[in-house]
Amino acid sequence: MAYVNVSRDPERNLKNGYLATSLVGMGTTLVTFAKQVFGLEESNTVQWPEVEYQYSERFKGAHFLTKRPDGRVRCTACFLCATNCPAQCITIVAGESPDKGVEKYPVRFEIDILRCVFCGYCEEACPVDAIRMGPEYSMAGLAERKWVYTKDYLLERDAVKRKVGEKQISKKDENTKHDTVDSTLPNIHAHGPGHGH
Amino acid sequence: MSNQVTLSINNQSITVPAGSTIMEAAQKLGVSVPHFCWHPGLSIAGVCRFCMVKVEGMPKLQIACNTPATEGMKVDTVSSDVKDAHKWALEFHLINHPLDCPICDQAGECELQNYYMKVGKYQSQMEDEKVLKPKALDVGDTLVLDTERCILCSRCVRFEDEVTKTSTLGIFNRGDQATIGTYQDRKIKHNYSYNLADICPVGAFTAKDFRFKCRVWFLKETKTVCPGCSTGCNVNLFQNSNQREYYRLKPRHNADVNGHWMCDTGRTMYEHLNASARLPAPLLNGETVSSQAALQAVTDTLKSVSADKVAVVLTAQFTNEDYKATLSTLKTLLKGTPKVFVWRDESEKAEDFDGILFRGDRNPNTRGMMDVFKEQGVSPVMLKGDFSALASAAAELTLIFGPEVEAGYPNLGKALSRFVEVKKAVYFGNTLNESAKKMWLRMPVKVFAEKSGTFVNFNGVAQKLKANPPVFTAVKGVDEYFADLSKMSQATL
Repeated sequence: MAYVNVSRDPERNLKNGYLATSLVGMGTTLVTFAKQVFGLEESNTVQWPEVEYQYSERFKGAHFLTKRPDGRVRCTACFLCATNCPAQCITIVAGESPDKGVEKYPVRFEIDILRCVFCGYCEEACPVDAIRMGPEYSMAGLAERKWVYTKDYLLERDAVKRKVGEKQISKKDENTKHDTVDSTLPNIHAHGPGHGH
Repeated sequence: MSNQVTLSINNQSITVPAGSTIMEAAQKLGVSVPHFCWHPGLSIAGVCRFCMVKVEGMPKLQIACNTPATEGMKVDTVSSDVKDAHKWALEFHLINHPLDCPICDQAGECELQNYYMKVGKYQSQMEDEKVLKPKALDVGDTLVLDTERCILCSRCVRFEDEVTKTSTLGIFNRGDQATIGTYQDRKIKHNYSYNLADICPVGAFTAKDFRFKCRVWFLKETKTVCPGCSTGCNVNLFQNSNQREYYRLKPRHNADVNGHWMCDTGRTMYEHLNASARLPAPLLNGETVSSQAALQAVTDTLKSVSADKVAVVLTAQFTNEDYKATLSTLKTLLKGTPKVFVWRDESEKAEDFDGILFRGDRNPNTRGMMDVFKEQGVSPVMLKGDFSALASAAAELTLIFGPEVEAGYPNLGKALSRFVEVKKAVYFGNTLNESAKKMWLRMPVKVFAEKSGTFVNFNGVAQKLKANPPVFTAVKGVDEYFADLSKMSQATL
């Protein structure tokens, strides 16, 4: 038979009695402790919160909203994240932007973080790379804290600036628009001034 | 039999009047043929080339919307070459479409989007850049036009030419530069403009009233009747049931009443349904009370007065069931008939008609109310600008049933200030008008969207309303209040 039995027979250890088994376990602990004290082996734990653990870039932590190169919010208030959200924790109020190139933007964008299950479906649904789940994992707070993340918080908080930095600016291309579209967005008119191609 | 033809569509046989098109026969049979430019309420244009079907004996595929059905014709709408034709026609429609569905309000009820999901090619073979066109144009007080999204089906042009006869719109330029637009210095300004947003199969026309407010997939529709005028157009009322918020009305086809359309005035009939525009609880001398306590106060007063000292002022905006309950309950409790008045706005020109749908009588149930009066043996007195008849009645208790749709009563404030003068005025209605503040008792009532009653239109067509869950759960309809009232008075006897 082509299989490997990876579980040990529980009966085998018990034959030696509980005390003997416990001592073997304690021995393992002491050996590892001694190795780490004398620097023979690297420790797997970090001294949190003095030392911050670095997750991979793909870690799905607290959300943030990305920006256009000119600093405005990238979100177009299409409601796809709110529709896709299984916890129904996203509230958006859309409004008409004075910039005709943007047309629609979120007047309010709120995430009730206590309801959020961090599934990442919002990020997945977004057609314009406007919402991302960031590297921030330490979100604990006291009861009086505001647990609904507002648009400003999602866009401008310090933790995101520190950890994401320039990557908060989405590099996604804008649709090219007709010359009559009155907009201050850079590079949306195909033959506009200061534009190469 | 010569004026009937029998054809078969997908081997199902159907008999239609001679001169009908394949499209009409297919609709009758319930076979869906994809289409953009064909609309049952407009003339046939045959420009979108999307409704291709295979007709036996014809060398090429034919468009279903403009091919007359003939005797013994064999039509196929499902074979692979028909599907292939749909796929390619859609590819051509999408060549210059901007695909800005995320910000387009039509997304979710867009025919282009739906057919793309159904028969789209998914991988475009176009290599050239899209042709850019003007976007977000202001074409009137009600509509925004995005010429990039337009697929040039010409439904809107035909609507303007045939239904409203205003001819504001046209297709300008040629080839891939062709755009829809208004003629110079003309704006779309008529009372049927929102129909353009309805019939637009894509998001080229979007309604300013609804734009960006809610995504259509959050909305649930209720089939009901518009309370805006005595035509009684059949409508779908759209509510976001999670928010208990109403967003819009759209016409529902009924050949006997409104055809395919409805007017812009009717489209505003969702505004007074939402919580912010309504009285949430009864007010007795300006103090909020429970409806139980309010009804008790009415019962006590009713017991102490005789029938000729009770006046009832009715507006024709309630259902037949409401009128019946009111009049029969009062007759039983008072052992006599109270004085009945009908309140019409003084500016009303009931016989006005705009030639399409909208009527001067801004009450949905004038005819039904009159029928109930006849049935109950009541002869009402008209109050129109002149309230002296009510004053001379010197009633001890006056029950006023105010209009639900205040737009039809421009002199509402004036009338209300007259009603305040009478002794013990009970006002059934949701008005937040300042003049109503001094009423003895104000009872909030259910609106048309929350009732299941009957409206009888100007033509005598009785139509049922369909009830949604109420916005304020404690608020009841007039008929329910009067049922409670009769129960309470019997209990205390």
